[in-house]
Amino acid sequence: MSNLREELKAQIIEQLNLEDLTPSDIVNDGPLFGDEGLGLDSIDALEFIVLLDTHYGIKVPDPNAAREIFHSVESLASYIEKTKA
Amino acid sequence: MKLVAHSFINASGLYVNGTRQIDLTGEENFLKKAYSELNIDYSKFHKMDNLSKLAFLATELMNEVVSFPAEGEGMQLIFANQSSSKQTDMRFIDSYANQGSPSPSLFVYTLPNIVTGELCIRHKWYGENTFFIQPAFQSAQFIEQAELAFSKGNTQCLCAWVDAKWQGNEECFLFLIDHSEGLLKPTELLEIYKSYTHE
Amino acid sequence: MIPVYVTYGALISPLGETKEMHVLALKANQSGIRKVEKSGFNGEDWYLAKIEGLSENRFDQLFQKGCAALIQSLGKDILSSPSTRVILSSTKANLSDVETDAFESMRRLTIELLAVAHEPIVISNACVSGVLAINTAADLIRTEKCDDVIVIGVDAVFDFVVYGFQSLFAMSDEPCRPFDKHRKGISLGEGFGSVWLSRKQHNDFCVRYLAGSSSNDANHISGPSRTGEGLYRAVKRTLLRAERQPTAIDFISAHGTGTLYNDDMESVAFNRLQMQHIPVNSFKGYFGHTLGAAGVIETYTSLLSMEYNLLFKNEGALEPGTAETINVLTQNQQQEVTCVLKTASGFGGGNAAFLMEKLDV
Repeated sequence: MSNLREELKAQIIEQLNLEDLTPSDIVNDGPLFGDEGLGLDSIDALEFIVLLDTHYGIKVPDPNAAREIFHSVESLASYIEKTKA
Repeated sequence: MKLVAHSFINASGLYVNGTRQIDLTGEENFLKKAYSELNIDYSKFHKMDNLSKLAFLATELMNEVVSFPAEGEGMQLIFANQSSSKQTDMRFIDSYANQGSPSPSLFVYTLPNIVTGELCIRHKWYGENTFFIQPAFQSAQFIEQAELAFSKGNTQCLCAWVDAKWQGNEECFLFLIDHSEGLLKPTELLEIYKSYTHE
Repeated sequence: MIPVYVTYGALISPLGETKEMHVLALKANQSGIRKVEKSGFNGEDWYLAKIEGLSENRFDQLFQKGCAALIQSLGKDILSSPSTRVILSSTKANLSDVETDAFESMRRLTIELLAVAHEPIVISNACVSGVLAINTAADLIRTEKCDDVIVIGVDAVFDFVVYGFQSLFAMSDEPCRPFDKHRKGISLGEGFGSVWLSRKQHNDFCVRYLAGSSSNDANHISGPSRTGEGLYRAVKRTLLRAERQPTAIDFISAHGTGTLYNDDMESVAFNRLQMQHIPVNSFKGYFGHTLGAAGVIETYTSLLSMEYNLLFKNEGALEPGTAETINVLTQNQQQEVTCVLKTASGFGGGNAAFLMEKLDV
């Protein structure tokens, strides 16, 4: 399901209004948050909640508890695979 | 007061003190192109709305010819535009009217003064700042506000007219004024602005 | 040094349209916040402080009402005098005109209705707009640019803003409770507030504007600084310029939105400033968060506290609880109110403050 990772990258760019970037700018296991990664922050975490809900029908209960899930494209994909399995 | 330096960006290029440094004509995404030409590594840039990107780039460019005071001490920011955060406002409306749900990452940019916030974060500036709405570029109001800033102990004013009415119409005229002797006239300032916009 | 005096202009809010109505409502701790059914994006019932009877074009109508009240209370002469300037403060202005120009109608209505001699100055700096407008007004008088400045702060409740704060999980599902331990977020409000700054004294009740300042947190565009850096610096500079110590302050009219992080941030800043013992309130429990109008409305109501020597309870705070302890007013308090600190903080990392002091006449 490596397509999921590519799909996620495109969705992240779309949902977070990062039109400057292309999917190839996002590394699978690179951090999404903080200045080391894509520079995302707590507001963007809210966008991930919307993204998971609209595209995958997954409801993340608490924005704070979701930090680990949102760490990278890899962790997001694993979470989706695990939840949908 | 004296004009120390000025920079300008629109779809035609990036300019400092009247000279074009980077040609952006024909670029599909001129803001992205300018960012990559300037060789900056600041991942937050890609998240910014156009208004913030404009002011960010104009400030980076000016920073190559002047040095800003540490912590922005004694430097007041006087920013203005005509259309507030209209471009992002329209996108935010689209997010809830047509895309299914209100977007938080767009909503936080639906304020014009996010521009000054982004610059303060980038440069660690803690000085005074105010964002004005003007029906068009009003050089006299900038100069009057700079006088007020100097009257309470500030020594520099970083001013900007940063406007984005619709796609393709974005512009930022950034200028640094200092307290030293000299009489900067509104007409001079207007002439410089016009020299950039009516090329 | 040219003195600057500050006094009432006009106030239109869910609590009333006159000074007397507001005195009565605040004394009785009446809140203008009500449950508004299906006001949320998904049909949630949020709590809002909306003014009854406003039509579809609520912003313009609110502005017109406010202008009429201003003419009534100040008279036409001062408004149209060549030595008077007007500063408009608004965060979102008339959002229903956003496709053309949201700020056009308030500018036009000011010129038409108040017959002002100069084009109004417009400040839009999120939630600190009102305090910045008052600081700018004082600077204009101090530097002899004019003799009088009418500051008007106005914002209306629009779906746009409700949905936006909802998307940030910042809307409270009960009336907002600023500085309360169990606060859950904001309640949005709308209103028109106006104060009059002048180089002359105009009545027996006389308050002098001392000094003000602003500062950016340089931390985050929407999250308050954990250390309260910007608020700390803005108040520090204000004290320095006003040549006053924290011990001189009788009351702080704080921002207090009712969100977890904002109120914590303010408590941290006030502790760093050695102001934790000074009685403090937020007026948001009465008016909701009126964005660009808030600073002006809260200055108006702080003037009421000074005139009547009566501090108003922080409506909604049953059990104060913030990161650092501050002296939140849990009931009305009759006491001498001579020196007041007004503060505001907002998105974009903005913070602003000023000090005003009552004179014995």
